[in-house]
Amino acid sequence: MDTTQLLKGVLDLAVLAVLREEDGYGYDILRRLRGVGLEEVGDASVYGTLRRLFQAGYLTTYVVPSEEGPHRKYYALNSAGRDQLTRSGKAWRSFASTMDGLLGDRGVAA
Amino acid sequence: MSAATDQDVARYVERVRAALADLPAGRREELLEELPDHLAEVAAEGEGPLESRLGPPEEYAAELRATAGLPGASPGRMTAAVAGLRGRLRTVDTRFGPILGYAHASEFLRLLRPAWWVLRGYVAAMVVVSLIDATGPIGLLPRLGGSILAAVVILAGFVLLSIWLGRRADRLSRWPRRVLLAGSGLLVLFAVVGFVNADQRARSDHEVYREVYYDRFSNIRDVFPYDAQGRLLTNVRLFDQDGRPIDLGWKFCAKAPIVEKPSGVLAYPRCPEHDPFRPPAAIPRGVRADGQPKSNPEPEPVVTGPAFPSMADVVGYRRVTPCAISQR
Repeated sequence: MDTTQLLKGVLDLAVLAVLREEDGYGYDILRRLRGVGLEEVGDASVYGTLRRLFQAGYLTTYVVPSEEGPHRKYYALNSAGRDQLTRSGKAWRSFASTMDGLLGDRGVAA
Repeated sequence: MSAATDQDVARYVERVRAALADLPAGRREELLEELPDHLAEVAAEGEGPLESRLGPPEEYAAELRATAGLPGASPGRMTAAVAGLRGRLRTVDTRFGPILGYAHASEFLRLLRPAWWVLRGYVAAMVVVSLIDATGPIGLLPRLGGSILAAVVILAGFVLLSIWLGRRADRLSRWPRRVLLAGSGLLVLFAVVGFVNADQRARSDHEVYREVYYDRFSNIRDVFPYDAQGRLLTNVRLFDQDGRPIDLGWKFCAKAPIVEKPSGVLAYPRCPEHDPFRPPAAIPRGVRADGQPKSNPEPEPVVTGPAFPSMADVVGYRRVTPCAISQR
């Protein structure tokens, strides 16, 4: 199964989870997602997701001047974002255990 | 960050914006607000142009639509066809790159852009001058009134203008860039047509001579005139409308001596024994050149064209006996 298809549904959750650990700017978030193994995540997807989460009010932003290169806009979770992360995390765990059960019951090698 | 990177980012953002043109302006700008800074970050992290690292801006825009929860993400059939074509082009781009010694063929083509700008300037000069000064055929220089100096000045001006435009094209907004693209397309069309025409002209020089030297009488060896009764006329002389003798055929018969006139005018047929309407096998001895038996009760003079005796007197020809078979 194509991982990119799976990723579409959980990218919000992945971005929120990455930001729970530490604030980050766009490219940094992309790098961290790839670092934990989500190699196939696209730049535009991360940027688009960040913009949408920001519009939805889950994120706050602040600008950090940089010595070399452009100023960086950092994204951080606000309380709405943290709530969203908790809700989505629960939904994901429940969904994942359902899928695990389904695959286990049918004897499909994981 | 270098100016080239800046330009690369600006160009990329512009194309993403163009691909999202159907969105409400406010929504679109909100979405793209951070994109230049973000792409600058991406550009600073690696080597090579953005397009080779992130894919075409149009696909980037499609991914943005999908993840940012925007309407109109379903592409029409046309858009899908264009995307498919782009995909195939990218495959070709990657496949042919190594042949040219680059990762992508487009990298090589990008190096040729200044050369194209110079060529475009030349073609533009040719087009403009041929429109202003339509006298005479189009040559290789944009001469105005036949002046070489004017041609060189015009040429230099147009080439410089084309280079200047080429360097600015990336920074142009959407419509001026489209106009420039359409104009360049027309120039390419003109250049191809002009080139083919010039080639045609260069080749046609030879064909003119071939037609001049074609002679439809060249395969005539002799002339055999006949009267109304079908009798072969001999010692006939031919003249054109200006009284000049008509010189047709070969100078020598195969076996018989040639029939000559003192004035140099030739009499026809030169070789009466080769009469094409007399079966050669059935020639009995003692038959005259006109094919009538000698025993004919009405003796005739040696056959000559009935209309010519008077003329022979006027011009002062001496009648020459045709090289008849009876002489053999």
